[in-house]
Amino acid sequence: MLSSVARLLIALLFLQPLAAQYRAALPGYRYVFPRDHFSHPEFQTEWWYYTGNLKATDGHRFGFELTFFRHGVARDVPKNAAKSSAWDVHDVYFAHLALSDLDSGKFYPTARTNRTGPGIAGISESSGRIWNGNWQIKWKNNDQELQAIAEQFQLYFLMRSEKEPIIHGENGVSQKADAPGRASHYISLTRLTTTGSIELFGQKRAVSGLAWMDHEFFTNQLGAEQTGWDWLSLQLENKTELMLFRIRRKNGSIDRFSAGTFVDPQGKPTHLKATQFTLEPLGETWKSKATNAVYPIRWKIAIPGLGIELEAKTLLASQELTSNTRFVPNYWEGAILLTGKERSHSLHGAGYLEMTGYDRPDGALAISRHYLNSGTEGVSERQVTPGIASR
Amino acid sequence: MAILSLQNVSKDYLTDGQCVRALREVTLEVSCGDFLALVGRSGCGKSTLLNLAGAMDFPTSGEVLVNGVATSSLNDAGLTRLRREKVGFIFQSFQLLHTLTVCENVELPWLLAGKPAGRAAARDRLAWVELEELEDRYPHQLSGGQMQRVAIARALIHAPSILLADEPTGNLDTETGNNILLLLQRVTREHNTATILATHSLEAAALATGVVRMRDGKIEEIVR
Amino acid sequence: MGHFILFYRLLIRPLFKEPVRAFLTVLSVALGVAVVLAIDLAGTAATGSFRSSMDTLAGDHDLEIVATGGVPEAVVGSVVSLPYAIHASPRIEDFAVLPEKKQTLPLIGLDLVAEASSYANRLQGAPPAGSENYLEHLGKSSIWIGESTGYKPGDRLELLINDHSKKYIVRGIYPDAHGNEGAIVMDIAEAQEALTRYGRVDRILLKVLPSSTLEEWQQRLRSALPLGVDVRPQGAGTNENRRMLASFRWNLRLLSYISLIVGAFLIYNTISVSVVRRRPEIGIVRALGASRKSVLAAFVGEAATFGFAGALIAVPLGRLMATGAVKLMGATVDALYVSSRPGVIELSVSSVLLAFAVGIGVAVVSAYSPAREASLVSPVEAMARGRREFDVRVQKRRDLMLAVALGTAAAASSRAPALGGKPVFGYLAVILLIAASALAMPAFVALVTSCASKLLGSLLGVEALLASRSLDASLRRTSVLVGALSTAIAMMTSVGIMVGSFRQTVTLWMNDELPADLYLRPAGSRSADRHPTISLELADKIAGLPGVAWVDRVRVYEISYGGMPATLASVDLKVMRPYKQSDLLSGRPIEQVLANLRDSNSVIVSEPFAYKHNVKIGNSVLLLLGEKQGSFRIVDVYYDYSSERGNILMDRNTLLQYLPDPAPSNIAVYVAADAQLETVRAEIGQATAGYRVLMTSNRDLRKEAIKVFDRTFAITYALEAVAVLVAVMGVVGALLALVIDRRREFSVLRFLGAAKGQVRKLILVEAGLLGILANCAGVALGLAMSLVLIFVINKQSFGWTIRFHWPVAILLGAISLVYVATVGAGIYPANVAVGLNPLEVVHEE
Repeated sequence: MLSSVARLLIALLFLQPLAAQYRAALPGYRYVFPRDHFSHPEFQTEWWYYTGNLKATDGHRFGFELTFFRHGVARDVPKNAAKSSAWDVHDVYFAHLALSDLDSGKFYPTARTNRTGPGIAGISESSGRIWNGNWQIKWKNNDQELQAIAEQFQLYFLMRSEKEPIIHGENGVSQKADAPGRASHYISLTRLTTTGSIELFGQKRAVSGLAWMDHEFFTNQLGAEQTGWDWLSLQLENKTELMLFRIRRKNGSIDRFSAGTFVDPQGKPTHLKATQFTLEPLGETWKSKATNAVYPIRWKIAIPGLGIELEAKTLLASQELTSNTRFVPNYWEGAILLTGKERSHSLHGAGYLEMTGYDRPDGALAISRHYLNSGTEGVSERQVTPGIASR
Repeated sequence: MAILSLQNVSKDYLTDGQCVRALREVTLEVSCGDFLALVGRSGCGKSTLLNLAGAMDFPTSGEVLVNGVATSSLNDAGLTRLRREKVGFIFQSFQLLHTLTVCENVELPWLLAGKPAGRAAARDRLAWVELEELEDRYPHQLSGGQMQRVAIARALIHAPSILLADEPTGNLDTETGNNILLLLQRVTREHNTATILATHSLEAAALATGVVRMRDGKIEEIVR
Repeated sequence: MGHFILFYRLLIRPLFKEPVRAFLTVLSVALGVAVVLAIDLAGTAATGSFRSSMDTLAGDHDLEIVATGGVPEAVVGSVVSLPYAIHASPRIEDFAVLPEKKQTLPLIGLDLVAEASSYANRLQGAPPAGSENYLEHLGKSSIWIGESTGYKPGDRLELLINDHSKKYIVRGIYPDAHGNEGAIVMDIAEAQEALTRYGRVDRILLKVLPSSTLEEWQQRLRSALPLGVDVRPQGAGTNENRRMLASFRWNLRLLSYISLIVGAFLIYNTISVSVVRRRPEIGIVRALGASRKSVLAAFVGEAATFGFAGALIAVPLGRLMATGAVKLMGATVDALYVSSRPGVIELSVSSVLLAFAVGIGVAVVSAYSPAREASLVSPVEAMARGRREFDVRVQKRRDLMLAVALGTAAAASSRAPALGGKPVFGYLAVILLIAASALAMPAFVALVTSCASKLLGSLLGVEALLASRSLDASLRRTSVLVGALSTAIAMMTSVGIMVGSFRQTVTLWMNDELPADLYLRPAGSRSADRHPTISLELADKIAGLPGVAWVDRVRVYEISYGGMPATLASVDLKVMRPYKQSDLLSGRPIEQVLANLRDSNSVIVSEPFAYKHNVKIGNSVLLLLGEKQGSFRIVDVYYDYSSERGNILMDRNTLLQYLPDPAPSNIAVYVAADAQLETVRAEIGQATAGYRVLMTSNRDLRKEAIKVFDRTFAITYALEAVAVLVAVMGVVGALLALVIDRRREFSVLRFLGAAKGQVRKLILVEAGLLGILANCAGVALGLAMSLVLIFVINKQSFGWTIRFHWPVAILLGAISLVYVATVGAGIYPANVAVGLNPLEVVHEE
């Protein structure tokens, strides 16, 4: 997911006269809720990310993904404008919505892009809304209502968090590369009890299950050698959760800034360094006909310190989101099932897996070059670090 | 002196791209008071001879002298003038204009010649052919004989020296035809015209002062 | 097969013996049909396939949200948040002028962020200079432009928008072939800035799921919209315009049929001649066993052959004429109705079929009567003697009685009201008048020729006598010919009188309606539905100049009323305008009406508006304005000839309550009595430096208006010209027939001493006589028709009150021209007559 957005964002960087006006994610940030569930326009990029595994009353299984992105392109209103138009672009809002009909083996991905405009997209703390058209999250006290309307399906969920928000990383930042500010502020709600309905082609089902929310904001966290990544969110039957990501480098090695978080049943997070876990493909792959990308769809997860060994597989191999425009790349994002053990006890769970950068074997997110060299009017040529955004 | 003289006259026509010699070196002298019957089979050149004599056409070779003037020396306007002054035509099918009254028909050549109203002259000619009481009628109200008499009156309107009649009795019954021939004979005599009559009729030949027999464009014999 | 061979030998083959005449007949049919086809094609292209310029790049949307003065932009936010899978495309729509090319293009502001993916394929920049990513160009004076304009990515160009111009950079081009006019596309924010029109969008196009009907969607959406905002099927504006144009098109089409009627006369004449000439032959074939039916069929077949051949020529000819007609019609549509872009002229199967149906149909119908006459020839006539012409007796008296009856019917028909908004009975009256005049023609011709023959004979000589006698004698033929020519002349006269009257009315009206000394409007092109604005500051600045007595800020909006487009205008009632009461239908003093208008919720409406929507003084009109809805009382109706759209006029303050945008569409400046016009003009010129506005003096504005007026009616002149051309060709053909039929007579005349010149003169005099007869009859008929056109057809179609006026000079000029053409038409037949060899002709006997 994130790399795809990253590419889009790279393109957008050129809209912005001065990136310096945005704030970097630095250690020591003080989190305050509910304020920090909403917008941070002083950071350039921000996203809210909802995924979940749900089961209908008839046993039919679904996975869903709804993401809201905000990317700042111009913080200030131009001084010379006599009047300002509601359509002036200060932030661009992207959103992705996908439904995985796991038992029918069907995947329904959709996407949209908007500006703030006259109420088209935005984040409002006062009204508790995060929305992009008719895809929206509405906070009601500590609960969230999710509404998402697509041509083929509609989602209406009520989500209640079982645990307090998790702050990933150390000292309030999730470091992604080796420089100050190459990091994000990363918040998760790792266990959202979800009830509601999924209407697919006019057929409405009551569903329930678990969802996961990620909320991340940052300004510049990309590293030059980082070419793709694999990310997992795991919700286990023993009321624990895991978030793990692995950054792949150009030379094929695994980046040392790969990291994770373990959340115990009481909601207490434990930071996992790259050295404290392994995340390895098990050889089974799925090749996309659309992009020729070869995705590993079976993974082995080991956290020796916690005695956890898990295997991740999916019920639906084709959960790739492809784009018809070149500036939104292709990636795999899908529901997974987990089996394994914690020490001697067997352990099951479900979660979401994201894999990026597989459609470009060289891993180069070369799209930025094109924009750099296009010499477009008004675009100052400056170094942009190609790479992947991470959570 | 001859009012009309044809000297070695030949006439060629182009018909469907072929040259047809209608007259071959014809020589004929006609004087005032002559009443000649031109006889011969159809297509022997009678009409051609009349047309040349009436200054309607130029000969291919030889000379046609009308009142001493060679037609070949004239242009079309000259021919027209000559025709107006010297020639009167009478046709087999009368050729009256249906849109004009009897009197107007008679007056027509007069008017065409650009002379002022010729009503008096027309009445005079009609009296001559004994039709003065029919002057306001239209041609279709007349019998064939009456029509031909109107045509004769019309031919006489200029008091022409030459009167040319092409089968004037061809469309009439014998008795009416004979009356017309007698009328023409009287005209010739009283007006001292040179009259040439192309005809098949034996009666005509009998009344004529001379008979010109034609064959294949040549004059075979002239009997005076 | 046998019948066909006979048909060929007896009817078709003889046509080749008179190729010129046969060709003229075919050509007259061809011209008549071609005009009908051309108007049909051009009508379809200019109005029928009418798409508003603004529908360019509109894609296949289902519904559109619209509001007078623009949709409040918050509506966009609420619509996209509705829990329906709706795709919404807000648009700013206006026009911009490319000053260097003097070309006006639609200017379309799109949400390029949201539409990035849906428009990606359409607005692609040409690599490598362009980029498929619009986002990086936002906020940088970026435009995308149709490739037909010839611009390339990277080009810089200046656009004239409203009263100012600005430089832009072409970021990409898009193919603007089918359905996409060359337009200028920019981001919606850029467009709002360019037009200084914030807070509103012009339209929101919607794509909805087919799970519900459009009506259901409309209902569902309406409940979520503010009061003044409407949702309707996309292209409803186009349909409204089409409906508005229907009347214009209908009238034009009927005018185009006049040439065809003229052509019908000529076919009738040709077949009549054919029948008369072939009487002996008909007798012979009847004697040899042909039935009446087959004779009838043969002559109808001959006519059909003419019709077919004519249509064959008419199709390419009509297509060619359509090209010109489209331009003329386009100008009219732009000036009177709505900015349009003519579609492609498409020669469809149906229009080709129409051409053939019309061509063959007219030929068969007009030939039926002579063909029937032919079928009545008895076999005995074959044996009847000779070549005497059988001019069928014309029953002058009976025909005259019929003519009187038809004339009465025409008068009655002209009193009937419009049928379905169309002046059906008005046109019926015109047709009845033409028929009546055709029936009265024999009596008229007979009367004139019999009276004139003596007179002419003494005036013009024996040739004139012969000519008038001959016309009288072949009365039917002459009548038909005069009928055809006089119909063409009548059309010319009537349209000439109508247009002349209209022009005079407009001129007089402008004296009253344009009282100000100077008028300012944004530079750029004008059209009946485009209302660019001038900055309010400029208006205020001008008002403060010395020597300026008053400034009237006129604001004009496009609205939809009663399913038709209309114009809503506001004027400053504070301004003392020297109106005259003749401007008002009621005739009330203008001060009183203006006082009424001052209380809000009062309007005056234009005469076409009142007519079109059937409203009277005292009625109310319900208008959706901005987010609000208002009911307005009509306090009076005013004469208006500026456009056929229908206008509503209210006080500026009233309108500002509903639509608060204060920028005027144009400014009228009244110069103080003690100031010099030229001085004030110069001052205003200085004040407007930096603005792109056009200042026009009262006199120039009137001149300009009259120019527009004349351009508008150019097409009617073209139609008349074709009708007259057809008629003159008919005269040539008919005289040619006359020469052939009377060659014996001409030959005899030559025997009797007629010079060639005399024969020529005879025919020219006949042509001249025909011309005089046709002109007299034509002007009389035309006068009657013009009354119907002005007071019935125009009134019922457009609602204009036109004062009758004789455009003497133009009429005299046109009639003289027709006369000369008619006499000229005799030249060729006269040459043919002169070229006849009398010896051969007489010898044929």
